[in-house]
Amino acid sequence: MATEVDQQVKVENEAGVAWIRFNRPEKMNAIGSLTRTQLSDAIKTAERADSVRVVVLTGSGRAFSSGADVTEMSNDGGMHTPEEVGDILRNEYMPMLMRLRTMSKPVIAAMNGPAVGIGASFALACDIRVAVPEAYIMEAFINIGLAPDGGVSWLLPRLAGTGVAYEMFFTGKALQAADAHRLGVINRIVPAERLEEEVRDLATQLAAQPRQALGAAKRAVNHALDSTYEEAMQFESYLQEAQAGSQEFIEGVQAFLARRAKK
Amino acid sequence: MGYEHILVNVDTPVATITLNRPRVLNALSPELMREVNEALRTLESDETVRAAVLTGGPKVFAAGADIADMAERTAAEQLQRDQVGRWAGVSAFTKPLIAAVNGYALGGGCELALMCDMIIAGDNARFGQPEVNLGIIPGAGGTQRWPRTAGKFAAMETMLTGAQISARRAYELGLVNHVVPAEMSITVAQRIARQLSEKPPLALRFAKEAVLKAFETPMSEGLAAERRSFYFLFSTEDQKEGMRAFIEKRKGVFKGR
Repeated sequence: MATEVDQQVKVENEAGVAWIRFNRPEKMNAIGSLTRTQLSDAIKTAERADSVRVVVLTGSGRAFSSGADVTEMSNDGGMHTPEEVGDILRNEYMPMLMRLRTMSKPVIAAMNGPAVGIGASFALACDIRVAVPEAYIMEAFINIGLAPDGGVSWLLPRLAGTGVAYEMFFTGKALQAADAHRLGVINRIVPAERLEEEVRDLATQLAAQPRQALGAAKRAVNHALDSTYEEAMQFESYLQEAQAGSQEFIEGVQAFLARRAKK
Repeated sequence: MGYEHILVNVDTPVATITLNRPRVLNALSPELMREVNEALRTLESDETVRAAVLTGGPKVFAAGADIADMAERTAAEQLQRDQVGRWAGVSAFTKPLIAAVNGYALGGGCELALMCDMIIAGDNARFGQPEVNLGIIPGAGGTQRWPRTAGKFAAMETMLTGAQISARRAYELGLVNHVVPAEMSITVAQRIARQLSEKPPLALRFAKEAVLKAFETPMSEGLAAERRSFYFLFSTEDQKEGMRAFIEKRKGVFKGR
């Protein structure tokens, strides 16, 4: 039907978990202008919905996401101007990536395949990555004369170390799942046929954790990454005070002492 | 005393004033500011109160003045009402006043925070002076207090672009003392206020006055005023008690005399 909106991003909510899925398998989940709009809506909605406790970002088909949709640039009648390139990063990608990193719920990347360019930015902005053995992370900007973007200049050196990040940026070569796993960039590797099950198990487990404490962990880490050791510990101490006065803590301790499951 | 737009809680010796118009994000109407001034005047003369905290509660400090109230006013009306002049009571308060800022502190809200002696920001705090977008400029000290605190260039950017800054950025600019988890900002401010309450009140008062003078006078005049206050404090009982306690390795007990 001509009026039907192309669902380039699909969202399924199940048991407290929002599955946000890049849904352009025929294009290796390339991200175009409509994808960005839909993805932004999906992330915002998931953040705001009280019923959503955990967010999973994944792709349909063989890729997680192949990055920016280059064909769209020419379909639109020519390349983006340099300023448009910058504006899309600042006004569209930045808010989405910031939201993933700072929202007070866990965000898991289920890497069903390669994550390239801005696709890699999304995978790396998540809190935890679970990937199939065929997955890889690639920053191929150098091959077309561009610089790293979408936050990877900040994320990759922190996740993989400066040397690995530079090698990826300079050569454009992929970081294979096994190597990424060894470096701690990817948390777990599971065969494709078990990926969703494994991520579902993890997400369900996290969805049952005390939500305020989960949020506090993210706030602590995000604050710490911008702070000195001393500032980070001070922030932690106040966060802990707030948490120590919470119902979650009271229930957690009572359950522990009574050797029963938490409510 | 009954207030309509604010809550005043005195947990001796610390008083907490909470802006309380959450439905309009604590918009600073003339009535609300009149109440803030009145409350501060009362606390000023209450000898049992040693320090105060000013907050907007857990979600928002104050998202500016009441735009709806101002939209159709003429310059003459604004001059006669002297809406902003009525804020003078905030800077006239001689005891320590600590702002606990969560969420938006915009326009007049930001200026109100800047009038306080210290600012404890929640990690969700946002500061800014968006007046330029409405065809006006800050009117409660923003253009003067920002450059004196954060420097000319940060002040200019804020005034000219109207863009907001995060708690973290405000901390980097020296605009706030500490960034703490939002749910703790009021507690932290009250705790600091309580610590200050145990210090000699007259010394606090003169220290506050001297620091504020640094923004008003040439250095030589400020130094002279500082020295006068320094010598004057040797005429107080609290100075004798403070120094004796120090020598005797015990904690001083101060009376404000």
